[in-house]
Amino acid sequence: MSALDRIAERQLVVVTGKGGVGKTTLTAMLGSLLAARGRRVLLLEVDPRESLHQTLGTEPSGGEIVQAGPRLGLQNLQPAAVIEALVREKVPLAYLVRKITESAAFHQFVEGAPGLKETALLGYAYRALQSGHRPRFDLVIVDAPATGHSAALLAAPGLLAQAAQGGQLGDMAADLATFLADASRCGVVLATLAEEMPVQETLELITRLQVKLGLRPDLVVANGLYPVPRPGAAKANDPPRELLQARRRLNEAELARLATVWDGPLVELPLLPLGRGPALVEALAILLEEADR
Amino acid sequence: MSMDLLSGRLIVVVGAGGVGKTTLAAALALGSAQQGRRTLVMTFDPSLRLKDALGVGDAAKDEPIRVMEEGSGFLDAALLDAKQTFDRLIRTYAPDADAAQRIFANRFYQDMAGNLAGILEYMAMERLFEMRASGRYDQIILDTPPTRQAMDFLQAPERMMNLVDSKAIRFALDPWWDGKGEKNLAFRLAARGVMELSDRIIGRRFLLDVVEFIRAFAPLFDGFRSRAEEVRNLLKAEETRFLLVAGPGPDRVPDAMFFLRKLEESGHHLGPVLVNQVHPDPGPAAADPGLALLRFLADRDRRGLELLRSLFPGGQDILPVALEPLPPGDLPTLARLFEKLSSPAQG
Repeated sequence: MSALDRIAERQLVVVTGKGGVGKTTLTAMLGSLLAARGRRVLLLEVDPRESLHQTLGTEPSGGEIVQAGPRLGLQNLQPAAVIEALVREKVPLAYLVRKITESAAFHQFVEGAPGLKETALLGYAYRALQSGHRPRFDLVIVDAPATGHSAALLAAPGLLAQAAQGGQLGDMAADLATFLADASRCGVVLATLAEEMPVQETLELITRLQVKLGLRPDLVVANGLYPVPRPGAAKANDPPRELLQARRRLNEAELARLATVWDGPLVELPLLPLGRGPALVEALAILLEEADR
Repeated sequence: MSMDLLSGRLIVVVGAGGVGKTTLAAALALGSAQQGRRTLVMTFDPSLRLKDALGVGDAAKDEPIRVMEEGSGFLDAALLDAKQTFDRLIRTYAPDADAAQRIFANRFYQDMAGNLAGILEYMAMERLFEMRASGRYDQIILDTPPTRQAMDFLQAPERMMNLVDSKAIRFALDPWWDGKGEKNLAFRLAARGVMELSDRIIGRRFLLDVVEFIRAFAPLFDGFRSRAEEVRNLLKAEETRFLLVAGPGPDRVPDAMFFLRKLEESGHHLGPVLVNQVHPDPGPAAADPGLALLRFLADRDRRGLELLRSLFPGGQDILPVALEPLPPGDLPTLARLFEKLSSPAQG
């Protein structure tokens, strides 16, 4: 079974990696590929500076679901807004809701409670998958925030369920933690560059996911590889070619380092002469699908 | 150019994740030391390669360690770790060992010390303040952490002050929680309301953990508040310069603009902007696809620079830093990087 086949069977996929490694473009690629396979897909972005819409050539989401193609929606989500909506739902009196959501204590709680924002985000994704939800989605792909360590995102509901044991919040978090622990429904895809720091973080993340959550990524994608130099093309004192060759060697050394820890599905994608946008997503999606076979 | 790059007794290097802040901070610090200053570079989570280059191991987490000396100048490096700094602060400022122990034993503290919003940033500021107060350095270069909300560290002192003063904290400190102190009906009703509501939503234990944490922490609050205020003033002082590192290409311009706007709005002093990893022009396009790609990347990065310059017509120094074949891996390559930074910019 190819990695994409496996991902197509999931309900929730978290795309993660260090900032600037092409997570958002990878999220868009997976969305288009899986929507093309007939899945109804929602892409969730958390960064307040929206960029997911650019990769698919739509209007910015501004918090709403935007149609990006057949069976493909995207949405920019603010965890604080999700939590406020939850309070509105749980607390019957509008006056009380305002009192709560406008209080400094509430904001400090939202900022400070361990895993609350992360849980709200994943909880939103979980709800979007329930049969009563309109529009219907089969798969939610989360473009995870570039936090220091994104294992924290997936560990959050479990942590919160423990901290807030006995309350409604704790119960919801516990439900969510059970869902996330179900390896048949939830998966992780890692994006990286074949450079030192991103590979280092990817290796740490793979280990952490394994140790803390018993999770193994469905796929690791190494983005932005410099091209293999043409044989015999190297001349002495040719800085542009030397730069390309040195960068390619660095890429290969880092891929080798990645391979010492990661023996699962790995797709290498080239640096292409295209800017961020639908053309890049389309070109890379084709390469991803070919490499995955 | 080098005058501009190294002006300011404190240089705070900011920018989005993965743009090469740490390497540039190290190169600037080395250059500063080589010009005869007593210099400290403070950094988070450097790459192995850079750790090797600077010769810093985990020992640098406690005390700055000496990287090099040259004439009257030297370079020290310190690694920052939020949890360790936090622990040390508590040991230093808690009124007694028992008070410190109560904080360490609190479940909430254990879960959150490294995790509290902005705490890493705040701890960086505390360390910075400590180091500056020591008088051991002519120049300190701070490499900021890759944060979720990119500017968390600027707001960190403010947030700490607000937190200490907030009603919620005062509420948690009230002796009523110990069954002591006469309270009027309104207070008791409010307290019961809070208890019931939070009991329903977040569970009683969680609330009690938080209350306990705040109370264990209370003796430290005044110290935190006054230091937070001094740190805030230090960040806005004339001697402090913010040096922004941006990634290349038009796609990274919004990130850079976000930082620049925030810094200007909040009244911090901007230093030059370094646009890092700019692909050099390969000359006339060739049939070689590798060179054609390089041409595309060079054009893209040039457009990014032009865009940034057009958005900052006010004479902001925006300096490209060329992508090197290999990232610096030792002191000589860091020194060469500094030389390139200080020579008149190309492009």
